[in-house]
Order: sequence, then structure tokens, then C-alpha cells
Amino acid sequence: MAEITKTPKDKEKKKVSIEVGDGAAIPSKEDRGLFTAWRVAFFGAIGIVIYLAVFKPDPYLDIMKFVPDGILVTFEVTVLSILLALVIGLFTGLGRISKNPIINGIASLYVEVIRGIPLLVQLFYIYFALGRIIQMPPLPSAIMAMGICYGAYMGEIFRAGIQSIPKGQAEAARSLGMSSGQSMYHVILPQAFKTILPPVGNEFVALLKDSSLVSILAVADLLRRGREFAAESFTYFETYTVVALVYLIITLFLSKLISIMEEKIGAES
Amino acid sequence: MQNHNRRKMVEIQGVVKFFGTLKALDNVSLDVYDGEKVVIIGPSGSGKSTLLRSINKLEEVNAGSIVVDGFEIHDPKVNINKVREEVGMVFQQFNVFPHKTVLQNLTLAQVVVRKRSKEESEKIAQGLLKKVGILEKAHEYPTKLSGGQQQRVAIARALAMQPKLMLFDEPTSALDPEMIGEVLDVMVNLAKEGMTMIVVTHEMGFAREVADRVIFMDEGRILEEGSPEHFFKNPTHERTQQFMRQIL
Ligand SMILES: Nc1ncnc2c1ncn2[C@@H]1O[C@H](COP(=O)(O)OP(=O)(O)OP(=O)(O)O)[C@@H](O)[C@H]1O
Ligand SMILES: [Mg+2]
Repeated sequence: MAEITKTPKDKEKKKVSIEVGDGAAIPSKEDRGLFTAWRVAFFGAIGIVIYLAVFKPDPYLDIMKFVPDGILVTFEVTVLSILLALVIGLFTGLGRISKNPIINGIASLYVEVIRGIPLLVQLFYIYFALGRIIQMPPLPSAIMAMGICYGAYMGEIFRAGIQSIPKGQAEAARSLGMSSGQSMYHVILPQAFKTILPPVGNEFVALLKDSSLVSILAVADLLRRGREFAAESFTYFETYTVVALVYLIITLFLSKLISIMEEKIGAES
Repeated sequence: MQNHNRRKMVEIQGVVKFFGTLKALDNVSLDVYDGEKVVIIGPSGSGKSTLLRSINKLEEVNAGSIVVDGFEIHDPKVNINKVREEVGMVFQQFNVFPHKTVLQNLTLAQVVVRKRSKEESEKIAQGLLKKVGILEKAHEYPTKLSGGQQQRVAIARALAMQPKLMLFDEPTSALDPEMIGEVLDVMVNLAKEGMTMIVVTHEMGFAREVADRVIFMDEGRILEEGSPEHFFKNPTHERTQQFMRQIL
């Protein structure tokens, strides 16, 4: 997952550097090698898909007709999970910087526990173990598990983003009579947003990939659709090739989108 | 000009403040009267900022009492945000809001805290921007402005709340020399209008022009106080004499 490290180089302009440890690498103009690697991978993948569809329609065209239904489910799971994760992340981040020892303790404990348990185990836990107490359909279980898991990482992103804003900003807001909530809402969060956005984009891509895990719970996502098709037609190699290519194209496309967004934000400030 | 029949705006009594084991304020007492202008001077680390910041509770003191505009700010029944509405503060680093335009910097707290309408707060904001001489920058983002202009935005932002008391913590010491004058001019005008002001600064010209009283702090204590003239001509303590020689 994305990790945020603060380099206390300059007191006033605390620069936040974000190291990406997961998700497709985000291409930037300075990084020429990666930039072309992105092009080769992206257009290569699209080229292969077109080639297979045109010259090997049996079975590839059938696969390509069957699998895309799963893309929508994959996006549904990803978008809903990331929204849940953002809400949980905001509160966790606020909790982690809270001076109230109880709130702070709960938030920190949540982050530690969640980060220590593999996502797949969390999925099983919420669907099968908690399912013994409150039965939930697979899709909500999956979204809940993914949201709770990524909420912990998102919490760290929010915390680092908030802490990257110089203390003087909050002091100025408070000295004008704003409450801590008003200062957070009107002054700190809007500024932290710029720092937070790129790593959130990374989490989005990482979550999209991890969402393939929910196929285990019989959620008909991209991977699940592939599994179903392969099991019936015994075209394992062909089907999983298409599934992998589709994931690759989606994540590469999203990474590019994020990098463009990032550049825009960078240009504004 | 000390007039003890006037109302006290700030009453500080026996204030002690520790940072860990470091005693930043050591039994400080100070009264500031309505309309009075007090200048605080003293060497680096003597506790000037800490004293100023405890007046609006940006620092919480360990002992003593601080009454601002009639409210004991450590009384749990007192809403500190209400007190802060009446106390403007200007920081050394300006602390303008970079994500808001100059005009929005001035209207934000008016709308959110004072609950004024957008129109009314913009009218007040424009009046103040005109007064500090940057009306033409109203729709710029403050990062585009010079330090002197940013500091004038910060002063106007505080004034937009129509405070009863203004605190200044070395408002010109982060500025290039050629911009100090424009900020001091704004402060002198404010003083002439009768604002109660507590100003940490080493600009002795400013002190001579507006200060009713100068306070010299050393090692967390108020070592000496008197008129600006007293400090120019015959400061009593050796430490004060030393310090005055350094800054003049
Ligand atoms: N947040 C803090 N944590 C720890 N020590 C602090 C903190 N703020 C101030 N101090 C210490 O308290 C003492 C008084 O600091 P203060 O900032 O009030 O001094 P000052 O007179 O304003 O100095 P300067 O002229 O450098 O601004 C100093 O020794 C300082 O290092
Ligand atoms: Mg200071």
C-alpha cells in the first residue's frame, strides 16, 4: 500500500514525499523509462486483445463477450469500497491525531489490527465467521471487508495529509474564533486534499486489483466470470489471459488518469 | 498615559508556563488597559511569544490566571472561541490561508464564526482591504503576494472580526527590510484609531511612536517596564542596557 513519509527538510514547507509500494507505478514525465514502459504495456495489451479477437475469435471472442459483465461488478465493488474506506479513513485519521487518549487509542488499535491481518482472511472472517451471527449477502460483506481494510490505510493517508499542513494554519483559524471542527473543515482539510489525492488514487488502483479476492465469496466480478467461463469450456489458458489483460488495461488506464490529475494539481499551486 | 480608571482589557496574574522542564514563563503579571498599546521586547527565548499566545490560549499555562475582556479563559464555563472572536492575532509567518483568495481570507471567519451574510462580510472585507492598501488584490491568491502584502492581508483578516484587542507577534521580522514600513504604517494607523494592542517587536521606532508602555522580558520574567523614552535614555537593569545596545 502507499506509504507516506515526512522529510523534515524545511520547517515551514514540510514536504511530503509519498512512496508508492503498490499499485501500478504512476508514470510521470520526468521518469522517461517508466513512461515508455507504460506505453508499451498499455498499447501492447490493447493490441494483443484486438489481435486475439480478430485472428483467434474461437475461443477469445466468446470469452470477451462473457467476461465484461464482471468488469461492472469489479468497479461497483471498488467504488463502493473506496467510498466506505474514505469515510472510515477520515475518522481514523482524525482519531489518530486526536489528543483524547481513548479516541486515539481506538483509532491506533484499529489500524494496527487491520494492517496485521491479510485481506483474504478479513473477507473470510466477515462473510463466514460473522455470517454465523448476522447473515449478509456476499456483495455487502465484500464491500464491508474491503472498506474496513482499506479504511485503515486510508486513515494513515489522512493523518499524514493533515499533519503536512503547517501548524500556523490551524492556529490562525483558531485565533479567529473557529472551533477545531470548523478549522479542520474550512482550513486544514481543503489544503490537505492536495497531498492526500495522489495516494488515495493509488489506493483506488490497489483496491481494484485486490477486489479480485471477492470472487471467492461468489461475487460475480471480473475474475469470477473468468473462472466460470473457464470451468465450463476448459479454456483456462485463454480465459485467464483475457482476464489478466483486462485487469492490466484498467489499472494502467487509471494510473495514467491519476498522474494527469496529479500534474494538474501540481500546476495549480 | 497610564490611566488606572480605565477598564482592564487583559489581566494576567502569576502566570507560569513549563515546556517540559523549561520554565518559559515565570510568575508573570501584567495588566493592559482598554485602548492601551503595550510593546514587549526581550532576547530570543525570553518568553514573549509564549506570553502573547497564552492570552488567547494558544498556549495553556500551568498556573496563574488570565482574564480577557472580563472572562477568565481557564474557567471551564468560558467558551474560548467566544473570547478569541474578540482577540485578533497576527503571526510572524503571516499564516494566510493559501487555498482562499485574499477576499475569502477576510470573509471566512466572519461568515463561519460571526454568522454574517456573505454580502455584509464582503463589504467589511473590502473596506479593510482598502484601508491596508491592497483592495486591488482582493481576488488574488495570497501566495502571489509579497510578504508585506500577505502580512497586511493577515492584519485585515483579524480586523474583519472587529476585535477589541489585537496581538502582534513580531509581525515584521520575517519581512524584507523594504516591506517593514508598509506593515508598520498599518499598525500605526490602527493604534491611532484607539485599538488596544499588545505588540512583540524590536522596531523601537514603532515603540517610540505608539507605545504607552514598553515591557522588557528576560528568562520568562518581566524584568523592567516603562515608557519608550525610559528604555532609550536610562534603562535600569544591566540586562536591559545590554539588550538595548544590541538592537539600537
Ligand atoms: N512548543 C514548545 N515546546 C517546547 N519549548 C518551547 C515551545 N515553545 C517555546 N518553547 C521554549 O520556550 C522558551 C520561550 O519561547 P518563546 O517562543 O516564548 O520566546 P520568544 O521570546 O518569543 O523568543 P523569540 O524572540 O525567539 O521569538 C524558549 O526557550 C523556547 O525554546
Ligand atoms: Mg517569539
